[in-house]
Amino acid sequence: MGSEQEDSPQTKSVNTQVSSRSIWSGSITIGLVNVPVKLYTMIYNKGVFFRFLHKTDGQPIKYVRVCVKEEKPVPWTEIVRGYEVSKNEYIIFETQELVAVRPESDKRIRISKFVDYFSVDPLYFDRTYALLPDKSIDAYSLLLSALERTNKAGAGRITLRTKEYPVLLHTYRGALVLTTLRYVYDVIDPQNFEALHKLVVPQKTELDLAIKIVSDLSGDFDIAEFQDTYKQNIQKLINKKIKGEKIIVEKPPETEAKGLMVALQETLKQLEQK
Amino acid sequence: MDFEELKTFTKVKLKNLDKCFYPQINVTKSQVVEYYIKMAPKILPLIAHRPLVLTRYPDGVDGHKMAFFAKNAPQGTPEWVKTEPIYSSSTKRNVNYIVCNDIDTLIWLANLAALEIHMPFSILGELEHPDLLFFDIDPEVPATISDAAEVALLLKDKLYSRGFTPFVKTSGKKGLHVIVPIVPRWRFEQTRRFVHQIGIELAKENSIVVSEFKDTKTPGKVFVDYLQNSTMRTMVIPYSLRPTPEATVSTPLEWHRIKRGLDPLDFNIFSVTQHSEDPWRGIFNKRERLSL
Repeated sequence: MGSEQEDSPQTKSVNTQVSSRSIWSGSITIGLVNVPVKLYTMIYNKGVFFRFLHKTDGQPIKYVRVCVKEEKPVPWTEIVRGYEVSKNEYIIFETQELVAVRPESDKRIRISKFVDYFSVDPLYFDRTYALLPDKSIDAYSLLLSALERTNKAGAGRITLRTKEYPVLLHTYRGALVLTTLRYVYDVIDPQNFEALHKLVVPQKTELDLAIKIVSDLSGDFDIAEFQDTYKQNIQKLINKKIKGEKIIVEKPPETEAKGLMVALQETLKQLEQK
Repeated sequence: MDFEELKTFTKVKLKNLDKCFYPQINVTKSQVVEYYIKMAPKILPLIAHRPLVLTRYPDGVDGHKMAFFAKNAPQGTPEWVKTEPIYSSSTKRNVNYIVCNDIDTLIWLANLAALEIHMPFSILGELEHPDLLFFDIDPEVPATISDAAEVALLLKDKLYSRGFTPFVKTSGKKGLHVIVPIVPRWRFEQTRRFVHQIGIELAKENSIVVSEFKDTKTPGKVFVDYLQNSTMRTMVIPYSLRPTPEATVSTPLEWHRIKRGLDPLDFNIFSVTQHSEDPWRGIFNKRERLSL
């Protein structure tokens, strides 16, 4: 198809397509004030995506849930969840038991206080969603302007599907956005790495030099400076394949097997001498 | 990759050689296989005729990836790999242990992603009669490997004064392992009691040493662990890789290298193959007798 097409539809650099379906609707509540909003996906993974196919007949490969003992597929009706308490020992949970303890979604983004946006370490940022006004444009505009003016962000929580998340309500390019945050237990304190306990205080001359290099290379951050070259190369290949060109796969260097062989020959010699 | 020629040297069908096993230092499966091939002359005499326990890391040692203990030979074990059924009283069935007496089996283990290999303290046919005494010197934070080294030296002196010749290796993490080869004539209760007794004496003479399991979590202490001296309990084999980010190796060392400042990170997949010394060579040629 379309063999004369030069550009693939996927080569657009800026992502302008937006989702038309909201994934959640409810309201931001701050004390007694409610701002009705809808939540939209804003972050996409636009890397290259491949399907696995069966080489011999070109049919898609599917995954099957198989019992490791019987080695045959297991229907969902026979599947429960197990929590491993010690090696090979599980506590069993039925779906109903887990549903009973799920947090209930109360359709609210509960903001408990406002914080300096830059005081939240980006390490805790998980996923960002766009918030759009639902019915009341005035309340939305008011909240947006107030946050923009004060450079503050609202901290609170939301229940999405089955999990409660800490969230940060903040502004991005003239919109209110909501970023779910990671819990403290999901982030490791790097001081747990023993190697860090061996750090030494650098000498002043070295430190001055290092600081000079840092300041010489200082500038403003621009994400557009970073290109996904792997994706670009794949895209070129895709375009070629669409045009029916034969792809010549470059052979990786044969160093690995060769290295093993040399090592093996030497070792066999040593073993013979014993 | 040129596998055809490799096949003439090993029966093992090597797979996924470019898979990354140690992501933080970019070590691939190929390098792991190469490591075990190079170390085979030193490893094989020490682990021959012993049922082995493996820790397999099919997706490498990244903290989030799965690892599992394997005692039973997996499905698809080639018929040329020697296995030995041993009855397990806890599970009431036979476990088919892998025995590694030759280089092909060692390569096959590396190909299984068995980064870490463990061995018991007795050999086939004499499983209830240990041929090694095992002292596991385990420092509890803030005690470090330097403290473990000092305790190992105290232990060495004590064992020498009793007429024994001990050997030492790093655990590859923060501890040290000291062993004494013995004539397989005593039972594990006896060797365990003997090793425990030495620990008790050391603890009496040195405040940093603890000899009892209940005290192991006392901060700053060094535990001389005797508990592994039991049937089918194991230690990581000499020259085994460890699942540390730096691909450290449990490395046999000459006693003069055991001192404060000893750094287990110095002994890793890259450095150990460069060592020419082989401090545990022939350790089973001279076996001690216990006088109980």
